[in-house]
Amino acid sequence: MKITLVKKILADGSPCPKCNDVLDKLETSGQMTRIDQVVVADERDTSSEGMQLAAKYAVERAPFFIVEREGNEPLIYTVYMKFVKEVLEQETEEADELKEIMSDNQDLDFL
Amino acid sequence: MNNSINLRDIDAELQKESPQKILAHALEQHDNIAISFSGAEDIVLVDMAVKIRPDVPVFCLDTGRLHAETYQFINLVREHYKLKIDVLFPDASAVQKLVREKGLYSFYKDNHQECCGIRKVGPLRKKLLELDAWVTGQRKDQSPGTRAAIPVIQEDKLFAREGETLTKFNPLANWTSTQVWEYIRAFDVPYNPLHDNGFKSIGCEPCTRPTNPGQHEREGRWWWEEATKKECGLHLDNVSPGK
Repeated sequence: MKITLVKKILADGSPCPKCNDVLDKLETSGQMTRIDQVVVADERDTSSEGMQLAAKYAVERAPFFIVEREGNEPLIYTVYMKFVKEVLEQETEEADELKEIMSDNQDLDFL
Repeated sequence: MNNSINLRDIDAELQKESPQKILAHALEQHDNIAISFSGAEDIVLVDMAVKIRPDVPVFCLDTGRLHAETYQFINLVREHYKLKIDVLFPDASAVQKLVREKGLYSFYKDNHQECCGIRKVGPLRKKLLELDAWVTGQRKDQSPGTRAAIPVIQEDKLFAREGETLTKFNPLANWTSTQVWEYIRAFDVPYNPLHDNGFKSIGCEPCTRPTNPGQHEREGRWWWEEATKKECGLHLDNVSPGK
């Protein structure tokens, strides 16, 4: 299994706050060692590897994870809590995952 | 990925069409489809849809915190259109845990995402696992900051069953609030009485308030939270898909 984390650099050159937050969580929990590579999606450079991966997999937000297993289609995770639960097999609260979904998808506000 | 590209092409076509045409397309393409009805002015979607398919599936998210008027309105809609509306409830143990730990009004301190996650997103996600497509009343003019780029058709990767496709339709994306109300009046569509009391946008009772003329409807929701929003999107407009 190969895990790629795509993190974002904003158009003004600053790092994406949520990407930093996710990286902090992975470091703190010791799970960063499970990530095989970290790739940057630089909004100032559409040819950056992360931007190309985002386009390839039609992902519209960062950070996201690409999980590749031999003989299978890559799986894309845009919800961190879902990723750690399903791939890193960490115990999580569903409420935390739902909160993350709500925070990242403000178009759900008015449902 | 191919499906996403196809849907973008279809979206470009459907962007020019009326909500009725978009709904007709959605209902023609999908048998296993349902309308998400919030009990507010998205009633126009229900009205349009029953004219195409009288027994169209409709569901509502009952957060347990809606106004009494909204519950009464949902029931009125059920009877008026003779629909078996599927009213969805949050997971009781998750709500109990939230309330036990943080009280009944945690959203005024922590912001609304945790409460909305439990009361809305949880039941929505569970429901969408049963469907191949769903329809929302989302409009671009509801929140210029977060809804300015709503497609009329999109692949919903967030809530799709693993390895399968879920299609989301937003037939009202290009309509304004004025057009919605013109439709309601023209076709004598029933509406939530809260709208007559200054509520432009209607959600849960503690998180919704009337707005003054000239105020945006967004100002009637979660008004205590900071206006600045976290930016997580990737702006992919100029990126070609990799080979």
